[in-house]
Amino acid sequence: MNAPSGLDLASISDRVQTEVQRAIQRSIKGVEYFATSGPALGSTPKDVLISRGTMNLYHYRPLADEIYRVPILIVMATTNRGYILDMVPGQSFIEFLLKRGYDVYMLDWTAPKPEEKSLGMEDYVLDFIPESVRRVQEDSGVEDVTVIGYCFGGVLSLLYGSIFHDGPMKNLICFTTPIDFREMKLFSNFSDRRYFDVDGLVDSVGNMPPELILQSFEMLRPASRAASQVQLWDNIWNDEFVKSYRMFDRWATDTLPLAGEYFRTITKDLMWDNKLFNGTMTVGGRPAQLDKIKVPILHAVAEHDHIVPYDAAKHLVQKVGSTDKEEVILKGGHVSLVAGPNAIRRLWPKLDSWLGGRSI
Amino acid sequence: MADKGNDPVAMWQNMIGEMEKGFNSFANQAMSSPEFSKLMNQAGGAAAGAQKHLGELMEKYLVSMNLPSRAQMVGMAERLQSIEGQLNEIKAMLTQMSKASGQSAVGGTTPMPPRTKRPPSAEGEPK
Repeated sequence: MNAPSGLDLASISDRVQTEVQRAIQRSIKGVEYFATSGPALGSTPKDVLISRGTMNLYHYRPLADEIYRVPILIVMATTNRGYILDMVPGQSFIEFLLKRGYDVYMLDWTAPKPEEKSLGMEDYVLDFIPESVRRVQEDSGVEDVTVIGYCFGGVLSLLYGSIFHDGPMKNLICFTTPIDFREMKLFSNFSDRRYFDVDGLVDSVGNMPPELILQSFEMLRPASRAASQVQLWDNIWNDEFVKSYRMFDRWATDTLPLAGEYFRTITKDLMWDNKLFNGTMTVGGRPAQLDKIKVPILHAVAEHDHIVPYDAAKHLVQKVGSTDKEEVILKGGHVSLVAGPNAIRRLWPKLDSWLGGRSI
Repeated sequence: MADKGNDPVAMWQNMIGEMEKGFNSFANQAMSSPEFSKLMNQAGGAAAGAQKHLGELMEKYLVSMNLPSRAQMVGMAERLQSIEGQLNEIKAMLTQMSKASGQSAVGGTTPMPPRTKRPPSAEGEPK
């Protein structure tokens, strides 16, 4: 009997053999997976300059013989840990910057303690960021600072930049930063003011539990966790795939709680009243208008971002008052924009070519 | 090698991918309605209440079994975090002190390289 057209018996036999070998490997590596821990993350050598409650300021040790004059301060998103930008050697954004001759600092967060539930937006924008900037200036001996904000770290950087518009910020780089919160359609619906009792929730739980934050992220793509586990099983024979899966899975589930008052402000001022977009945002009574920002700005957004859709981010460049401004839309999603093979090929070199000349 | 169209493994992977996309898109549509928000927040409120009640019962049970409760474990974790934080503060102070005294810092911090780097080409120069 002939094989159906288009099928080659020899290749089918090869394929079956490969699949049998993979099935055996899956059983062996599957046991290994549960018996071992993942790769060590965030291991680029650094010094802690400030450690105060939820706030940590790190300075990474230089990896180049000559560095640019202007140091970089990275402001991490308050929902997640900063090691997404420092995964493992060869896949670390921090390491990339250091090797390209940048002097790198990071404002990273730990879980706010129950007694920190009263931390509000003004603590982040008028205290933590300015104190970090001052410390960077003091440590580097340079007046100017480039600020890079990732996701909500970008929002905090924008608020800081618009309030301290005559301050030391020399350049601003935002990664996937939302400003039009109406366009974060699902988050907007989850927090619909008619049904979401933010006061009741914050008053009863204090800080927003990380499980709730993780759940709301996962609800945006409810089938993806199950599908990624099927994918993991399919590829468990592949060490590189497993290493990468473990890194990203660990980071994605390592969500931080949010300080209660800070979450209340995010919900009311940003999700409900869209004040940053409307130009009516204030922090601690100080107006934060985007058109006050005049420094060079680069905004990198992801084409397939399900957390911060393009519509929520696209007005940023248009709203700031800078003349030297650029938006770059890159392939990838919210996380793959900044970390992983996609970022190594696309975002990192783009950022280096943009920032180099602005860091002298 | 069999081409992708005939490869059952590729077909299976493709099917999983399509199912994921289809389900996500369907769920996103369902979740964007105000009814969903209303139900979710009602259920969330009820669940929070039930969880609080269950937590209190569980706490009593664990006390009777002479076992630590979640609150006590969280308390321990916070204590550890606070000790870790204090260690970091001491380390930061020592680094600052050694920098101020001009000595090599704690942890072997190397002296900073000169801030004289220029971009390799004119590509990044601001316009």
